[in-house]
Amino acid sequence: MKTKNVVVILASLILGVVFMSFMNMQEQKKGAPWNVPAEYKSMKNPHKGDASLEKLGKAAWAKHCRSCHGNMGLGDGPKAASMKTFPGNFKDAKFQAQTDGEIYYQSFVGRDEMPNFEKKITDEEERWAIVNLIRTMK
Amino acid sequence: MKRFLSIFICSLFFAIPVFGQDETEEAPVKQKPRPVRSPWSSGLLIDNQTSVIYSPKTLEFVIQHKFGSVENGRSDLFGLYAPAHDIRLGLNYVIMRNVQAGWGISKTKMYNDFNLKWTVFEQTREETMPVSVTLFGNMAIDGRSKEFFESRKYNHSSDPDGPFTEHPYRFGQRMSYFSQLIIGRKFNEWLSVQAAASFTHYNLTERNVDHDKIGAHVSGRVKLSPQSSIVFNYDAPLKIKDISEQREFINHPKPNLALGWEVATSTHAFQMYIGSAGSIIPQENMLYNQNDWQDGGLAVGFVITRLWNF
Repeated sequence: MKTKNVVVILASLILGVVFMSFMNMQEQKKGAPWNVPAEYKSMKNPHKGDASLEKLGKAAWAKHCRSCHGNMGLGDGPKAASMKTFPGNFKDAKFQAQTDGEIYYQSFVGRDEMPNFEKKITDEEERWAIVNLIRTMK
Repeated sequence: MKRFLSIFICSLFFAIPVFGQDETEEAPVKQKPRPVRSPWSSGLLIDNQTSVIYSPKTLEFVIQHKFGSVENGRSDLFGLYAPAHDIRLGLNYVIMRNVQAGWGISKTKMYNDFNLKWTVFEQTREETMPVSVTLFGNMAIDGRSKEFFESRKYNHSSDPDGPFTEHPYRFGQRMSYFSQLIIGRKFNEWLSVQAAASFTHYNLTERNVDHDKIGAHVSGRVKLSPQSSIVFNYDAPLKIKDISEQREFINHPKPNLALGWEVATSTHAFQMYIGSAGSIIPQENMLYNQNDWQDGGLAVGFVITRLWNF
């Protein structure tokens, strides 16, 4: 009787593991379109093409963005896999077609899993340095 | 070492006009001076405070831990498996721009400490202010049981072998204070250094222990990458006869030397270090630290901070 119980338990465990292996992990969804306010859409980048901010942008990216967005903005950072929403591919032409202001809004105001960075990155120059860096990820 | 420390602190001030801030950019003429970016990665640097105060309404949770002494070697994995020297859990909240209030509770003497930090001046990129100036104050309440204080006897005579008398317990006997003036400078992208002077006062101390102590402090950060740095601090309780109540300095507190590695992200700072401080709150170290770093009195420790913005 005891042996029978052990066999039943073991069989249930094995079947359970086999059954679970056929289940797909919940897929990451793509983010819904952003609703960027007009004032941000038309916002001008006062540091556009400022090569002196390149180092600053890279340092800020490494500290604040890389863990989710990856080294090259492909959305493949170490934290990305555990997120419900794909962090986005900045190489994508559709993404790069946005204005600097739209990228600024998405980067620093954020929504849902994309946190607000307005209090963490308080320096306007540093914010635009990140936008400029994102622009190089074509 | 003290002489070296004094020369170093003086040279920090005189060096100000010599070293240029390489971050300086040509700003528009009427632009308001802007504070330097990230002079430090966190408001804490091992056992010291820095000039960093986050944006208003930021809450910081701090976990500080000092393992046991490394002197037993492999038998307790260099102190990692030994009973901890000290543990502190703290919360800091930024009330307004450059003003932070905090509270923490420590394992040592079950101290409850209430602190206030104010960065009076920030170093600016335009060099209109070449250094940051920060004031830090800490008031701690010894949280041990009342019986501990009631059972103590005190000798108030000038004769060290004089009569001991018992005093009634008063809440004020639990209080100790630490105040500090910190002057720091980010010299360039990879080097930040700060020097500080402090004053420690205990309402009640043991025999042969002064009530007051003045200290000198030096800390620094050498950045290795945007996220990681080598950090160090040196805290020296000074032998100043004029404020000492002792005929000679017996069991004078030992200086604290610490060297560590720091990693910081948007919301976290992690510091792993080895140092000779026996406790975490500064007044305890300035008056009671007997760990001698030259004699194996070192312990591994870490600091973890987590930020939330509201």
